[in-house]
Amino acid sequence: MANWLDVLKQAEQRWSGKVHASFGTHPRECELDCSPPIVAELCGWLFSEMHYSFGTLIAEQRDSHWELRYVWYGEGDQGIIHVVVRQVLAEEIFGTLIGRVHAVDWNEREAEDLFGLIFKGHPRLGDFVLHNGRWDENVTPMRRCFDGCLPYIHTQMEKDWRPLLVLEAPGAFAMPIGPVYSGVAESALFLLETQGEDVVRAVPRLFYKYRAIEKIAEGRPLQDALLLSERCNGTSAFAHGMAFCQAAEAIEGLKVSTRAKILRVLLAELERFRHHVAAIREICESTGLAVATSQAAILEEELLSLCCAFTGHRYLFGLNAIGGLTRDLEGSACLEAIRVGRNILTRLENLQDALRYSSSFLDRIEDVGTVSQADAEEFGLVGPIARASGVSRDLRELQPYSGYEHFSFAVPCEQEGDGYARLRVLFSEAEEAFRIMEDAALQLPEGPIRIESVNDLGSGAALGWAEAPRGATFHWLRTKTDGSVARYRLATPSFMNWNGFHLAAENFAFQDFPIIMATFGLSVAENDR
Amino acid sequence: MSWPIVLLAIFLGLSAAGVVLALLLPDRRNPLALGWTSSLAALCILWLSGAVLLDGSGFQISLWSLPGLGTLTLSLNRLAGFFLFSAGIVFLAASVFSVSYLRRYLGHYSLRSFSVLYHMLFVSVALVLIAGDVLSFLIGWEAMAILSYLLVNYEHEHQENVQAGWLMLSMGEAGTLAAAVAVLVLANSAHSLEFSKLRIASAALEPGISWAAFLLSFFGFGVKAGLVPFSTWLPRAHPVAPANVSAILSGVILNLGIYGIVRVNIDFLPATLVGTGLVTLIVGSASALVGILYATTENDIKTMLAHSSIENMGIIASGLGAGFVFTASKHPALAAIAFAAALYHALNHSVYKALLFLGAGTVDIQTGTRDMDQLGGLIKRLPWTGLFFLVGALAISALPPFNGFASEWLTLQSFLRSVEIQSAAIGTVFAFCGAALALTAGLAITCFVKAFAMTFLGMARSQPAKEVSEAARTMIVPMGALAALCLVFGVAPTYVIPVLDRTLGPYIGSGAEQALVPPFFTPRASELPPNFLSEFHDLGAQVGKGLLPGPGLVVLHRGGDRNPVVFAMSTSYTFIVLLLLLGSSFLIIRLWLTRGRSVVRRLPWDGGLQRLLPAMTYTATGFSSPVSVIFHAVLHPTATEETRETIHEHFRTAIRRQRRDLHILEWLVFKPLASSTAAIANACARMHSGRLNAYVAYVLITLLGILLLR
Amino acid sequence: MSHWVLKGLKTGIKSTRYPEQEETRPGVSPGLPSPGSSFVQIADICPTGALLRENNHIAVDYGRCVHCFRCARTTDLPPLAWQSGYEWGFLSGETAGDAPTNLERRTFGRSLHVHLVDAGDCEACLSEITQLNNPYYNMHRLGFFVTPTPRSADVLLVVGPVTDHTRQPLQKAYDAMPTPKRVVAVGACALSGGVFGPSFIAGSGVGNVVPVDVLVPGCPPPPLAILHALLVAVDRKPSGLKTLSARFAEENVEAG
Repeated sequence: MANWLDVLKQAEQRWSGKVHASFGTHPRECELDCSPPIVAELCGWLFSEMHYSFGTLIAEQRDSHWELRYVWYGEGDQGIIHVVVRQVLAEEIFGTLIGRVHAVDWNEREAEDLFGLIFKGHPRLGDFVLHNGRWDENVTPMRRCFDGCLPYIHTQMEKDWRPLLVLEAPGAFAMPIGPVYSGVAESALFLLETQGEDVVRAVPRLFYKYRAIEKIAEGRPLQDALLLSERCNGTSAFAHGMAFCQAAEAIEGLKVSTRAKILRVLLAELERFRHHVAAIREICESTGLAVATSQAAILEEELLSLCCAFTGHRYLFGLNAIGGLTRDLEGSACLEAIRVGRNILTRLENLQDALRYSSSFLDRIEDVGTVSQADAEEFGLVGPIARASGVSRDLRELQPYSGYEHFSFAVPCEQEGDGYARLRVLFSEAEEAFRIMEDAALQLPEGPIRIESVNDLGSGAALGWAEAPRGATFHWLRTKTDGSVARYRLATPSFMNWNGFHLAAENFAFQDFPIIMATFGLSVAENDR
Repeated sequence: MSWPIVLLAIFLGLSAAGVVLALLLPDRRNPLALGWTSSLAALCILWLSGAVLLDGSGFQISLWSLPGLGTLTLSLNRLAGFFLFSAGIVFLAASVFSVSYLRRYLGHYSLRSFSVLYHMLFVSVALVLIAGDVLSFLIGWEAMAILSYLLVNYEHEHQENVQAGWLMLSMGEAGTLAAAVAVLVLANSAHSLEFSKLRIASAALEPGISWAAFLLSFFGFGVKAGLVPFSTWLPRAHPVAPANVSAILSGVILNLGIYGIVRVNIDFLPATLVGTGLVTLIVGSASALVGILYATTENDIKTMLAHSSIENMGIIASGLGAGFVFTASKHPALAAIAFAAALYHALNHSVYKALLFLGAGTVDIQTGTRDMDQLGGLIKRLPWTGLFFLVGALAISALPPFNGFASEWLTLQSFLRSVEIQSAAIGTVFAFCGAALALTAGLAITCFVKAFAMTFLGMARSQPAKEVSEAARTMIVPMGALAALCLVFGVAPTYVIPVLDRTLGPYIGSGAEQALVPPFFTPRASELPPNFLSEFHDLGAQVGKGLLPGPGLVVLHRGGDRNPVVFAMSTSYTFIVLLLLLGSSFLIIRLWLTRGRSVVRRLPWDGGLQRLLPAMTYTATGFSSPVSVIFHAVLHPTATEETRETIHEHFRTAIRRQRRDLHILEWLVFKPLASSTAAIANACARMHSGRLNAYVAYVLITLLGILLLR
Repeated sequence: MSHWVLKGLKTGIKSTRYPEQEETRPGVSPGLPSPGSSFVQIADICPTGALLRENNHIAVDYGRCVHCFRCARTTDLPPLAWQSGYEWGFLSGETAGDAPTNLERRTFGRSLHVHLVDAGDCEACLSEITQLNNPYYNMHRLGFFVTPTPRSADVLLVVGPVTDHTRQPLQKAYDAMPTPKRVVAVGACALSGGVFGPSFIAGSGVGNVVPVDVLVPGCPPPPLAILHALLVAVDRKPSGLKTLSARFAEENVEAG
């Protein structure tokens, strides 16, 4: 595969004069400034010929121009490429990438809805983040002129809401599921278009829980915005906090101590371990396997208690700080945590063995909710879901951060892409996460836990990334001169994966739907932000 | 002149008056005139047949004799009277219903011709039933066939209607031909065309001739009754016919097919061959299963009812088949039970199917659609129609206390009694057919839950369904009367069974009344063996003595031995208990459980949706979808899917799906038939090579063949 | 399937003895800040305004605390002490303190059906509510059940700051419940909007949309705190916190 410098050279040659490369703070990051007409071509080339993966689209309203930043990442030497396109503020129409890179779909819809930008050629703009029937079309909360702190008074409430239904068949109807569920589940609405038995089209209507984290972070001090990034999703708070801190540290040029880095790895893997056990519990629950559910729930609770006893918080809130961690963790405490973790892992492996021989359980998840590798790549799926479909991408391996390059670990990958493959990936990753924790606890060096930020570096922008339990997350941070946030872009794995959820849910029977949802293990909060 | 003849004369006079009035009056006055004359005529028929049924005073008139063909006679006995009675009920209801219903055709089609045809159909139906000889029977039958074709084809401006009419006519005529041959075969051996002579002569028939006569007549009348595999005309004819004609088609014309089968096989040619019974039984069960399967997956409310008619005719035929088997294997008491069950079901089917067709017609005329996917929520707008349709749906689903339960229960019970026949083969056939009927009963409930729920409950799924209003009173009242009859025939089987028994008695030579309705509450109770009685006292049979008006218990028993009861039911007691139960639970809930609480009405919980839209509620297709998935192999669907995309394959702007079920008869019977006919024709065509020497060779081969045979 | 039965039996009993006995297992609760410290400058580092200066002491508004641990881990000032414990259910509302009516006693005295509405939480509160079903907390043993529809619910659990889009579902669910009913607001967001509210899209708690009877602070409140709140809602336990914003003096009086 081509080295990233080669890629830049090729791009500059191919579109000579229209593409200009410049280098940022990170050794493997660069910006490709390009003129608006060729952005689709350039990105399509990166995607299909250079085999880069789409990270996220960052829209920014700068003082005099719009700045769209398409983040692409590749393996090792390929680095991270920002394709940047700028247009003056008055020019609100951009070209769409939809025909070449489908993964960008929801990113463009989000930018359209929140910034009021128009992506010419995108067939489905409109009702997305801000629900139609509640918000006027001209409300664009992410623009600078919109004050996010004031309560918004709706002028036009509850217009006639008509969801877009495309199934035209005798007796076709859309089965609504949600937004308030029968059990303990997050708010989201699914419209399952069907003729009665098989789901023909599954349309999620998300953003019920939209809290506008990106908007309300603006103007807040960095360390307060960190609280928001942790709480975009409570079950993967540490990974998001870590990515945020890395972005902030890149802006401020802070060199985090090795001890803090390794502890971050340890905690991130502890979080992954706990998250995967919880996901396994949910899969067992969806198939109605009571004993297995309880077994997994016991392990989950023990991990939560372990987190609390070990770090002070059951969901690892309040640990990350810009420059390190807020508290030091003793070596002995780490070893104790490893001891408890090993016990839990042994029991998790027992559970896996028992599940492997439960034919009634396997019948319900095998060949159910299948996502092909081609679809997974096309829709830009990330995390365990992509890895279960044969797309072996993991930011820890591709673009190591926080010292992951010093750990040796496997990235489990399955080919089938069905529910069982996803379950197997979760089991293997949980095991792998524990191995990394063990390694981290053993190689923990002495050193300071936190470098205090100088706080007078002023404005800047940087990207932080991490492999959260559900997949790749990107945090783009731009600060003002007073150190407060000017723009915070929070790209989450659930946002990428929900876009591909229908691939798994369609053409399966109704009764498989909860199981498919559980094997996807997506978070609505992480998507809605 | 005796009074039955007077009544018959009044009936004919009223019908004639109806025809004359129809020709004289302008179109817009015609419905009312039709309503008056034909309902009065129907009342005459009801009186006439009712009296015959109750006191047996039939009549026999010789009209005039034709040279070489014998005398044309009209005669009315109890059997014909029974069918005439059920026809009278349906005609009465349909006539009253027509008064408002026919207004929809005003200006489009000639109501004058409708009236004329309608009256003539009534007369021809009566003629079929009171014909006393082969010739008048055939004349009446042919007239009935042609008139019903004309009425079904009334909305002749639609191409599909014309096609359906042609199919109905051609299949019907094929059947008529076969039936005529069968009856003539019998007449030939009797050397007479009079019905009364046929029976005497048939005893001496060879089994081969008997079989031929049976098969021809069974085919001929089976086509009219809509038994598989000759039922394909029925689901096409029904939806295109006006609703009142549909009611008559299902409630009267189909019954005439049953009448033909009954008349031939228990009167002219009493079953002596077990095989004929088994054929009837198997065809009947197959009809029942196939009928209900397609009814369940059908969304056009009238086509659905047509398929359900096939099902009910199947149940009746299988009851008859059981009766034939019992007769042939010398179990006359059991045969009496089976025949009684079959006739009872025929009567019940006439009542509730007429009710359902009138209901469907009301829905059709008020909303303009028969597609259940487009309906929904009508009960709020059409409360009475909804209520009566519900009664019909409960009755046809064979749920107590309505009439379908009584007769279907008896049919199944008579099947169970087949254990008394000592033959493994017959036992196996009965077991399979019984299982098929049980499955049919289950599917029937699914089918009519769907029909009622998708039409009347939930939210209106189309604009016309939202904006309907209740139908005219002349449409509601006949439905109400039929619904009341559903209840009466369901609650009082003990009064119906003796009548049926007297109807069948002369043919079978044994009664079912003793075996079904023991006279517990009458002075005749003392005739019963004492240990038998005490057995029932243990069961509490005398509980209602003095309180209840009369017999309330239907039992199946083996006679006077110890522990004789096979099965017992009492729809009348069930009904009383049901009323008490519902009433008391209402009181308990209202006066005790919710005391001190105020009732607050809120919308149904919709999961917190912005708004629950009708497009988000179950449709008829969705409801029956599990059935079509389970019976995928039978239904043979051919689905076409078309997806329209924009820009990129991942954005679908429209997914079109069409699914057509190939009818089982089409792929199992008619397709192979057509393709083998075509294959034979092709093979023959290959002989025509066009070369002279080949033809010379054919001539030579034929010659040699003939010589060799000689 | 027999191996599952065996596996289940082998695991033994894991359930806490909580309402009868105190739970002492480590890691069941992160705790809450205690009022008291006289270094009032510490109030400035609290991002949500949960620490208040009052009479030269620090008072704590539990409803605002989001467990950022800044006051506990600050190095510039003597850190604020945190209290352990989890009995955080707090009875509020107009009916607080009134004796329950007969109808209420009849309704809440029996098994209790709980319906949950997620009004925009970050999934942590939701996860803790899920834990109530796990063998450790096992709320079924106390007669608490999650019910699929608000129509049959006695208690409505609400998490999240109530975002604009969930306001209507929450209102609908509340309206659909039969009376008498109780509403339990779970977590800092549901109490005060937490880090999210108030803004143009998120409210400042459940109380602005539907009347709340019991409040549980915490970010997220641990399962035992939610369990306690449910017990408080049905009068099986007294209110755990005397007040939502604890002053130093009051705490002293209590301790004394």
